[in-house]
Amino acid sequence: MKIRNETDFWSGVMFIAFGLFFGAFATRYNFGTAQVMGPAYFPTVLGGLLALVGVLVALAGLGRAGEGGKLERFHFAELAWVLGAAVIYAAILRWAGLLVSMLALIVISSFASHEFRWKEAIILSIVMAVITYLVFILGLKLTIPVLPAFLRN
Amino acid sequence: MELLDNLAIGFGTALTLQNLLYAFAGCLIGTLIGVLPGVGPVATLAMLLPATYALEPTSALIMLSGIYYGAQYGGSTTAILVNLPGESSSVVTCLDGYQMARQGRAGAALGTAAIGSFIAGTFATVLVAAFAPPLTELAFKFGPAEYVSLMLLGLIGAVVLASGSLVKAIGMIVLGLLLGLVGTDVNSGVSRFTFSIPELADGIGFVAVAMGVFGFAEIIANVEKKGQREVLTNNVGSVMPNVKEMKEAAPAVARGTLLGSILGILPGGGALLAAFAAYAVEKKLAGPNADPPFGKGNIRGVAGPESANNAGAQTSFIPMLTLGIPPNAVMALMIGAMTIHNIQPGPQVMTSNPTLFWGLIASMWIGNLMLVILNLPLIGLWIQLLKVPYRMLYPAILAFCCIGVYSINNATFDVLVTVFFGALGYLFYKLRCEPAPLILGFILGPMIEENLRRAMLLSRGDPTTFVTSPLSLGLLLAALALLGIATLPAIKSKRQATFQESD
Repeated sequence: MKIRNETDFWSGVMFIAFGLFFGAFATRYNFGTAQVMGPAYFPTVLGGLLALVGVLVALAGLGRAGEGGKLERFHFAELAWVLGAAVIYAAILRWAGLLVSMLALIVISSFASHEFRWKEAIILSIVMAVITYLVFILGLKLTIPVLPAFLRN
Repeated sequence: MELLDNLAIGFGTALTLQNLLYAFAGCLIGTLIGVLPGVGPVATLAMLLPATYALEPTSALIMLSGIYYGAQYGGSTTAILVNLPGESSSVVTCLDGYQMARQGRAGAALGTAAIGSFIAGTFATVLVAAFAPPLTELAFKFGPAEYVSLMLLGLIGAVVLASGSLVKAIGMIVLGLLLGLVGTDVNSGVSRFTFSIPELADGIGFVAVAMGVFGFAEIIANVEKKGQREVLTNNVGSVMPNVKEMKEAAPAVARGTLLGSILGILPGGGALLAAFAAYAVEKKLAGPNADPPFGKGNIRGVAGPESANNAGAQTSFIPMLTLGIPPNAVMALMIGAMTIHNIQPGPQVMTSNPTLFWGLIASMWIGNLMLVILNLPLIGLWIQLLKVPYRMLYPAILAFCCIGVYSINNATFDVLVTVFFGALGYLFYKLRCEPAPLILGFILGPMIEENLRRAMLLSRGDPTTFVTSPLSLGLLLAALALLGIATLPAIKSKRQATFQESD
């Protein structure tokens, strides 16, 4: 068996995985009857349907080549910088406050670009810290801690 | 003249200083994000949703809708000057608009796009005002079975009109429906798929999903692309098209407006599909002897799609306002905004909140007028903006996303959920699975389940309830017909051809 259309094949695998997961997980809940549907009824049906769709898509991926079938390379470094920056932001926001976490978010996420420059990233982070303070704290009056925990009184 | 009375209420609401200001702000922000490639209206609306908490519901919705149609205007500027769609519905505008710019007719292309959009917007506003009341009447006759059938029609519409593979789109919808079920089951009180995480008891936040799949994933996909964009700024020229161009463009604007208005109402439709269809129609009508040929700077290739996407953007409000059912991801967000302000979306909005309903409609026309006035003189400013390199833009977008998601519930957990969906969205992007149907499924999941359960309970477990009611049967037949049409070999190949022209 040769995979002729990689994107279709792996999409199918993804659908099957999600379908089986939801279907299997739903067995923990009460299924009920068609008249009085339990919490498991709808998810089980949908999970089964999704797995079935997955099989069809995966089989199609084995069958015909088609355009856009080649799976492009995943850029994990870019992914990690962008998403990692958001995770760190979420982790330190409560404690470090808006200004510091904004600096971290901008500088870390800037690493994702292939044209990264230290000076630019730092200037941008300071500008963004000021803008977000003005817009979200002064303007929209959102309740986000601004300063690090040890500087608050 | 009930229509005029209603419009009077609407303009009375929309013309207050406060609402004019928010409409203006919405249009300005919308144009801005429309101009910037890589920030779509969905991500922007999601970002700004928390910012509208403090506003009156009417002002909030006026501003949010201004963003949506503002983005349709802004997108064309980028398409014409940079050959990049600033917004996905401007994809086809690149084909002829950029060529016109290279021939020194950038101004005429920009002017045609703006004027065409305004005409389309005016027509679509009247259409919304005229069609909303009768549809609302009809919606009151709906029971749970009819709602299930209607939502099914909506989902099938989304599948048929999605670009790419039909089966994959079905998979994405079902996955969206399942993700929508996460959280406490309303009927039994059981926590489903929450992995004992207390934050998930209320379900996955819609904004987190939309921002992850559209915002974060798009950033990653854009960052990994290397290469420079070339901005054609040297001679934009006069923004007035000449007489010959106007004669060519006028009928294209009319056709685009009509086509866009119809396609916008259809479930799953909206601006994107309208633009594609209008381009295909113009190209077909012009025939092979068009001068200049399509793809080489024919003004009709700009006028048609640009009018169509604006008309479609506006008529897609009709199903949202009358039935409470979102035809696309942007309308799903509008429903989210209504719920935040404790307005239950559905046919009762027109009677319970007439000022909101008619004010919103009136503001659409005012917004369109603002956009023409705003856009043409400000084109120089937008051009400057296009020169900001992406490496400085995306961290700022990311920052606004993070703050926006956090502030909805003041929960850092929501940021992590967004990160999860960002990773998932990147996987979808690589696997060429379109995320829009997933969002639609996510919104409709709980609604469908609830109505399905209610319908089955009322019919004592008899599934024929869906075909014995004439309304429900009609909707189901329409869904079947849509699906049938999409699988016809002739349409299938045409459908692929239409969508491939953008690549």
